[in-house]
This record gives sequence, C-alpha cells and structure tokens, in this order.
Amino acid sequence: MKHRISDLLQQFHQYGKLANVAEIARRYFAMNAFDGALTMIGVLMGNFTAGVDTPRIVVSTGLATSVAMGISGLWGAYLTEAAERKREITEISEQVLIDLHDTRIGKASRFAVAVVAVVDGISPALAALIILSPFFIADLFGQIQFVYFSALGMALLSLFALGAFLGTVSKENVFLYGLRTVVAGLVSIGISYLLGAPGE
Amino acid sequence: MSNIRRLVLDTLKPHEPSIIELAKSISDLEGIAAVNISIYEIDRKVENAKITIEGENVLYPLVLDIITDMGGTVHSVDEVVAGSKIIDDASTLQD
Repeated sequence: MKHRISDLLQQFHQYGKLANVAEIARRYFAMNAFDGALTMIGVLMGNFTAGVDTPRIVVSTGLATSVAMGISGLWGAYLTEAAERKREITEISEQVLIDLHDTRIGKASRFAVAVVAVVDGISPALAALIILSPFFIADLFGQIQFVYFSALGMALLSLFALGAFLGTVSKENVFLYGLRTVVAGLVSIGISYLLGAPGE
Repeated sequence: MSNIRRLVLDTLKPHEPSIIELAKSISDLEGIAAVNISIYEIDRKVENAKITIEGENVLYPLVLDIITDMGGTVHSVDEVVAGSKIIDDASTLQD
C-alpha cells in the first residue's frame, strides 16, 4: 500500500513537471487569494458602513461570498485551463499524428487542469475565511467595531503575506512587495468607507 | 528465435518529455544495455530524434510503447541487427 502511494506521488510529480503545474498554480493562487482578500474587504466595509452590528449577518454574507468565489474560481479555471490544454495537445497531435489522450502528455495535461482548478477554487475561499475568522469568535471581542477592525487587520496581514510570498518567488525585496499589496487593501478600505459613509 | 541486438529508429516527439527521460525509460527495459538519442531537427512544438538501442534482447513492442506513451511516433526503423552478435553493414563498391 505504501509502495503504491509512493508510486502515485512520484507519478504526480512527473506529471507536474511535464505540465509545468507549479508555476501556473502559484500564479493562480496569488491572483485569486488577492481577489478573495479584496472582495472580503468590500464585504466587510459594506456591512460596516451600513451599520450592521450582528456578527451572524456578516458571517452569512461573508460565507456566501466565499462559496461563490470558490465556485467561480474552480469552474472558471477548469474551463479555461481545459480549453488551453486541449488546444496545446491538439497542436502537438497534429504534428506527431497520434492521439495523445492516453499518453503521458495527455494524463499530465488532465492532472494540471485538476490541480489548477482546485487551487483556483480554494485560494479565494481560504483568504476570505481567514479574514472572516474574527466574526466566528465575535463574542470574545465585546464591541462589534473591534471585530470589524480585527477582520480588516487580518485582511491587511493576509495581503502582506501574499505580497511577501510573491517577493520570495520573484527574489525581490519581500517587505516592499508585501507593502505593495497592503496599499491595495488600504485603498480599497478608504474608497469603500468614503462611498458608504453617511452624509452630513 | 534469435534476439534483436540493435535498433535504430527515426522518431518524431514533442519537446517534453525530454530525451533524457525517454532515454532513461527505454534503458530501464529488460534486455537493453544502452540507449543513444540524438536530435537532428527541432521545430516549434516537436523534434526529430534518432534513437539507437543496443542490448541482449531489444523488444521492439515495449520500446514502441514507451515512445508512444511519451507522445512520440516512429517514422521509420532505419537499422536492425539481430542474431548472436552485432555486425555493421558491409561496405560495397556502390558505397
């Protein structure tokens, strides 16, 4: 059993290398986690400026948004990646004049589609859930404003972590990269507040 | 029945998997002592490779399976040596 799992993992590793999955998955992860974080900032700010003070409402809105983002990511990535891979396989098939479906290339291609779709689905949903987490334990905070601030703090922290991750990938200054993504979050918070702030 | 001791194949394959992986996979087969692969033409998506295989008992169907599994096709079998030893083609006046 152990041997079979080890063989399977080795096979997946080979498919991953063949289909260049790591690079694509990293790109989708970063892009979609960023989307998820900013979308959740929008949800939080919308609720905050609307004066929602019941954590359950924010959690419901947030969870529904997370699910929608997850499904959107999964579905969208699956369809897009499958189409691109199919085009590539067809191009090669036309050159070598054989059906590549059951070859290592065909299997690697399908593996890549599955991995990328899962990453694309999970990353925004995960980012959203992390940001929403203070609302799951809202009772510990006392005032609802502190819950909002904590959640927004989590959002900015997540954005920084994402930026730092990208900085590591590109071998650039990790701190500066983190700051860049945080700025996007701050801009989003600022504009959302101004749009939703009650008139004088 | 005597064994095939040398095969020279003209193949067309995608760039990936590379010839390194192809050579390793073919050389892992039983009865194969050595594999030589050289690329003589490269295109945008595919490359032409000459594959020379030697061993005690080269099983062509298994070699073909590996080449096909890696997305390649055999254009032609350019040379075969079968029997109890390897011999090269004899030179003639026409050469």
